Amino acid sequence: MSLKVRGLKFSFGEKEVLKDVSFEVGDGEFIGLMGPNGSGKTTLLRCIMKYIQAPENAIMVDGSSVESLSQAELARTFAVVPQSSSTDFTFSAYDIVMMGRIPHRRSRMAGPTSEDAEVVKGAMQRTNTWRFASRSFSSLSGGERQRVVVARAVAQRPKTFLLDEPTVYLDINGQLEVMEMVKSLNKEEGITVIAVLHDMNLAARYCDRIALLDNGRLEAIGPPADVLTADTLRDVYDVDVIVRKDPYSGSIYVVPHSTASISRKHGTRVHVICGGGTGGPVMKALLDKGFLVSAGVLNVLDSDFENARDLHVPVAAETPFAPVGAASYEENLGMMAESLAVVLSPFPVGPGNIKNLEAASDALKKGKRIFVMRPPSGQVIDFVGGAADSLINELIASGAVPVDGIDQLISKLGYGGHAA
Amino acid sequence: MALLTDGSAESPEVDFRRLMRKRFISLSLLVVVLAVSAFVSIMIGTLGPIGPGKPEYISFGDAFGAIFQGHGHWPDYYDDVFWDVRIPRVVLGALVGAALACAGTAMQAVFRNPMADPYIVGVSSGASLGAVIAGLTGLAGIAFLGWLILPAFAFVTALLTVFAVYFLGAVGGKVNVNTLLLSGIAVAAFIGAVVSTMIYFSGQDYHRIIFWMLGSLSMVSWTAVIVVFFAVLVGAIVVYVFSRDLNALLLGEEVAHNLGVDPESLKTTMLIVAAVMTSAAVAFTGVIGFVGLIIPHMVRLVVGADHRTLVPAATLSGAIFLIWTDALSRTVIAPSELPVGIITALCGGPFFLYLLRRYGMAGESS
Repeated sequence: MSLKVRGLKFSFGEKEVLKDVSFEVGDGEFIGLMGPNGSGKTTLLRCIMKYIQAPENAIMVDGSSVESLSQAELARTFAVVPQSSSTDFTFSAYDIVMMGRIPHRRSRMAGPTSEDAEVVKGAMQRTNTWRFASRSFSSLSGGERQRVVVARAVAQRPKTFLLDEPTVYLDINGQLEVMEMVKSLNKEEGITVIAVLHDMNLAARYCDRIALLDNGRLEAIGPPADVLTADTLRDVYDVDVIVRKDPYSGSIYVVPHSTASISRKHGTRVHVICGGGTGGPVMKALLDKGFLVSAGVLNVLDSDFENARDLHVPVAAETPFAPVGAASYEENLGMMAESLAVVLSPFPVGPGNIKNLEAASDALKKGKRIFVMRPPSGQVIDFVGGAADSLINELIASGAVPVDGIDQLISKLGYGGHAA
Repeated sequence: MALLTDGSAESPEVDFRRLMRKRFISLSLLVVVLAVSAFVSIMIGTLGPIGPGKPEYISFGDAFGAIFQGHGHWPDYYDDVFWDVRIPRVVLGALVGAALACAGTAMQAVFRNPMADPYIVGVSSGASLGAVIAGLTGLAGIAFLGWLILPAFAFVTALLTVFAVYFLGAVGGKVNVNTLLLSGIAVAAFIGAVVSTMIYFSGQDYHRIIFWMLGSLSMVSWTAVIVVFFAVLVGAIVVYVFSRDLNALLLGEEVAHNLGVDPESLKTTMLIVAAVMTSAAVAFTGVIGFVGLIIPHMVRLVVGADHRTLVPAATLSGAIFLIWTDALSRTVIAPSELPVGIITALCGGPFFLYLLRRYGMAGESS
């Protein structure tokens, strides 16, 4: 199956819902359609199914335009799984799946044949719904019902599934169940999948490519890692997110920043000396309170380096695994000089980054306010045989302020909730 | 895939061949019950082996003789009673019951609403208007033709009302069932008011019109049987042919569309067929209520919602139901008779409530 959408436009009256959308879907692909509410995803699916009339030749299926296909032909090519299905009438799960054979009937008079029965049984076994085939559809749980609807889609023997947010009403187990089932049908039977999805992590995990719609326009299309970037998502959804790679599945995942109201930026700069992930929460909290933040010296690939990059915090950086060199040391000192205060997160100290502590004591001598965050265990993680511990105690002895936790830090910095 | 295990182990198997056999058996059973009901109810009445037996008692033998040999050991006018009153009446009852139940099934599917019935698009009020006009203008009193004028008027006004409701309810060529439902209610209320006004000023014809409006099979003739027969034959076949489409429609119009069914033409076809069937039935018998609402429900409780079974089963059950309620209507206060519409409501209501309580609300939405 190949689907070509070329310059698709669609309007409801005055309102343009789809503006010049073009893309292609190849055989066997798993494509995610994403975008904010009202961006035109469902409208796009309805155009493909001719439920609403798209302009001529805008949508081509295997070389012929959808207008030239009969509704039954379309239903043999595309099987739709809607968000949820319910009915007030007493159909058994089996009845529901048998409806998938309607596009295959030879004539209107023809009832279901034993061949149809075989297909239905196969589809229900494939989706693990055969064991409740005789139960009433409305008595099933949401996840079971959705699997029955997937079974109906399978019974249609389509080339492509069109899924319209098939998992929105399901719990996490039901979501995975349905998505795994669709993925395995995609892999094993070569059924192309076009799925409207809201959950970015689900999309990133299952889709080969993602098409991102915004306000009726195709904003981006490509592999999840290329489309689901912090920049694109901020443009489209107006949210700040962090994009990371799941170490187990290798797919990316997206975490939104807290949407707690961010204080007005007052521009007071604070420099954070950190490492090993201890600086992330500190930088985030400071940014939320309206501070300007810089950090250093961090090795590229250090998790705090990634944190700083995600938070758009300028960093004095050093090449991976290298000890702090002269250039980055100077850059670090420069950043401290521009800051009102310097915060030391309870980072693990080793031979590579012990120079950061020396830089802090240098700044203290020049009259900077230094805050030392005590590690929650009370013990500095020290890989330099006690040198770090004594340096920190020295700092405190010469006037650095020890603090316990981020809240105390913020209040001692003096720009808390009542930032100017 | 661990999730996709073969579910064969614990399945209470759905066996397609057994399903088909069960369906065949239940439908055959209904045909047999219908035949027996028709035969027995022919015996029931003022003049009959079953009944008060006045002025003269007739034996079963005579009745069998009359039916199978064309003549019993009785006065000649008994032949007329059997052949021109009793038999056509039973047949008409069966046909009208079938028409109402079949049309009710189709309307409940089109409106996806368990409260829908054959009169939902204004057939009953429209037919009443025609009947009242025919009755009050004296047209119904004309010799020879008169008895046909009332049904003809009722039939035509019923269809005109449905068309009015349809065009008021269809926006931009598309039928929105909710709009249609509301326009049906509005038009029915308006015409109902017109009919009430006419009855209010009608004087002595008042009783006759009310009797018609309550619904009765007493104005029977072979002409009526033939007309209703063709309406029901064509109508029931069309509804049955579309039964898989109706199944899909019950899941929503978009779902039906996505399964290759055209919901717009399906709705329009069903509305036309149901209107013609119902109008034909109502024209000859008046407004018999409740059959078209409860029979589809009762049958659905037993056989499920699949229209391949539901449509024929409801059609046959409607016929059986009306045969028996009419038998009751002509014996319960014999030698006088109660309009059958009263009986259908009196029996149907409580029985329906009983079914609803017994089978629970789980399967049936209210």
